[in-house]
Amino acid sequence: MSLPPTEVQRDLKSAATTHRGDRIFNRSMTAAAFTSLVVLAGIAVFLGIQAVVALQTQGLAFLFTTQWDINVPAAGIWGMLYGSVLLAVIGLFIAVPASILLSVFIVFLAPRRLARVMTNVIDLMAAIPSIILGLWAFYLLNPVAEEWQFLLNKYLGWIPIFQNDSGNYLGTPFIAGFVLAIMMIPIVTSVSREVLGRTPPDLINAAESLGCSLWTMLRYVAIPYGRGGIIGGVMLGLGRALGETIAVFFVLKLVFETNWYRIIESGGGSVATMIVAKFGEVSGEYELQLLLAAGFFLFLGTLIVNIIANVIVNRTGRLQR
Amino acid sequence: MTSVIEESAKSQWADQVPERPWRKKPAKLQAAIVIGALVPLGVVALINATTQISGAILMVVIYFPIQLLSSALAAWFVRGTRGIGDSFIIVTAIGATIFSFVILFSVLGSLIVRGAQALWGEDGFRSSFLFQNNVYINPSTPLDYGGLGHAILGTLVIVAIATIIAVPIGIATAVYITEVRGRAVPYVRFFVQAMSGVPSVVAGLFILTVLIVSGAIQQSAFAGGLAYAILMLPTVARTAEEVLLLIPEDLRTGALALGSTRARVVLRVVIPAAKTGIVTAIILGVARVIGETAPLLLTSLKNDQTILNPFNAPIAALPTYIFDNVALPYPGAVTRAWGAALVLMIIVLILFSLARYLGRDRLNKSR
Repeated sequence: MSLPPTEVQRDLKSAATTHRGDRIFNRSMTAAAFTSLVVLAGIAVFLGIQAVVALQTQGLAFLFTTQWDINVPAAGIWGMLYGSVLLAVIGLFIAVPASILLSVFIVFLAPRRLARVMTNVIDLMAAIPSIILGLWAFYLLNPVAEEWQFLLNKYLGWIPIFQNDSGNYLGTPFIAGFVLAIMMIPIVTSVSREVLGRTPPDLINAAESLGCSLWTMLRYVAIPYGRGGIIGGVMLGLGRALGETIAVFFVLKLVFETNWYRIIESGGGSVATMIVAKFGEVSGEYELQLLLAAGFFLFLGTLIVNIIANVIVNRTGRLQR
Repeated sequence: MTSVIEESAKSQWADQVPERPWRKKPAKLQAAIVIGALVPLGVVALINATTQISGAILMVVIYFPIQLLSSALAAWFVRGTRGIGDSFIIVTAIGATIFSFVILFSVLGSLIVRGAQALWGEDGFRSSFLFQNNVYINPSTPLDYGGLGHAILGTLVIVAIATIIAVPIGIATAVYITEVRGRAVPYVRFFVQAMSGVPSVVAGLFILTVLIVSGAIQQSAFAGGLAYAILMLPTVARTAEEVLLLIPEDLRTGALALGSTRARVVLRVVIPAAKTGIVTAIILGVARVIGETAPLLLTSLKNDQTILNPFNAPIAALPTYIFDNVALPYPGAVTRAWGAALVLMIIVLILFSLARYLGRDRLNKSR
């Protein structure tokens, strides 16, 4: 951990210099450092142009209609936008409790060695490429999930979200959300593990000496202390889930209808997946422009979610150090 | 208690284990735990022996609630109502742990079992699968002919292009943050973080619209490499920044005091000192992108031939090879996809363990 800058150190640290070679060096490093800004701005501008074209030709209907027929003026991405959010919410419902419990296990319950093994297992989960997860989900998760959803519908079908009229339990938002949860768990866990691990021992000791059990300690000390970081981690996972393309491609039946709440009914939507799926059969320049416009809104959504997430996580001091 | 206070005053709490008094288990509690764990197991064994309910459903729908209930009862018996919350947390946390283990081992296990069918035939190891390309192959061709050599080469070419572009820029970004320390450091950090959240498909779309639709370049390895570079840059920049921050300030001031210029301090002292860390940053960047499929579907398409020219033709890569073979209604093609997935996963695993191995020293040093 570096010391706070004193006056002397700050003089040495400042980049101002009269040496010519140094000035060139500093300028080239500065130029390179702004590449990320240039790329972000480039994405915003070039995809934004297409979004403007789409909004001019289709009107606001581009955002709020669901069918995709470019010959009549009513092609829109509402079903896909809503579908992306629905999948992410299903994923969060599974991933958030699982991740918090996992990090509680790693930080407070597991012996040191097991905790280290668990950390590696979680990191390994993060390393699985999404195409492999998609392959696995298509061949191994699908049959299992089909049976589970059938049973859910059979016994809990009176709850609206578990309705299914078609009898087809494949390609449902639930399966896609489950796969997204698997991708979110490592992200959320690694952040919340770090945050929970930094609960000051003094606070834990104090809570314990006041008679807290593990449950009350978590409830009143550790979780409130790390709440900001955990929320930031959840938002990071959400950003990842919104932008996920390939894993969802294999397990979700893409339909241009709005599937509002029937999570175990076949068919749903996702912007990212729709772009890849439609790109293969794109009919002409205009349809490509609409796909690029859809990409712009995807970019905008994930960018906002990510910025909020990073602000929250940074405020808890994780990545700054 | 005094020893605890002394300890926390003595050391930073970074490497200090929090006191965990709730883990002291009296004999009565231990007995209750044993009984609380054995009873549900017995019930489930009984149900399993007498009825035909399948294993997974039995475990989740019957065993898990019974286990929750019996642990809660046992804890209540020993510690009163205070114990119930604890038992709930412990049982569900162990449940979540087992869940993540099951998922991971299911993925890895299925990869090994099914991928091995592509890599090992009746005559032993099929080197043809690793080295041949796909030119005269249709989905029903036996597995002994054709393979993913062209896809492995394609992935190498694309990743190499991405590395050549992203690594210098990423390291320069890190150098700007840690060495140049200009006024824009917080903004640069912010943009790098924002960039790391760009979905991979958007990176592909960006290259597609700026360079391919406009006619500047063709759909080729170069286009794919550019899309990969967008995804790789933030990972390299952030990891390299972390590494450079660990270089002691004395090294820099010492070199400056000896009369070297700032550029020379960075190039000859700081970066060589952080060599392993920077290699780790590059490896993590490669591992981050190597499995990405969506940008390649838009920028480098696919090809059955072995292509080495990165500019004038579509090129195959491992992820797109998997993508093309998965959905085909031929078992042979699907087996090829599993084989390619196994090869891809092995590459990713090697990269990650390499990064771990190189990063180990760094982590220990920073303590």
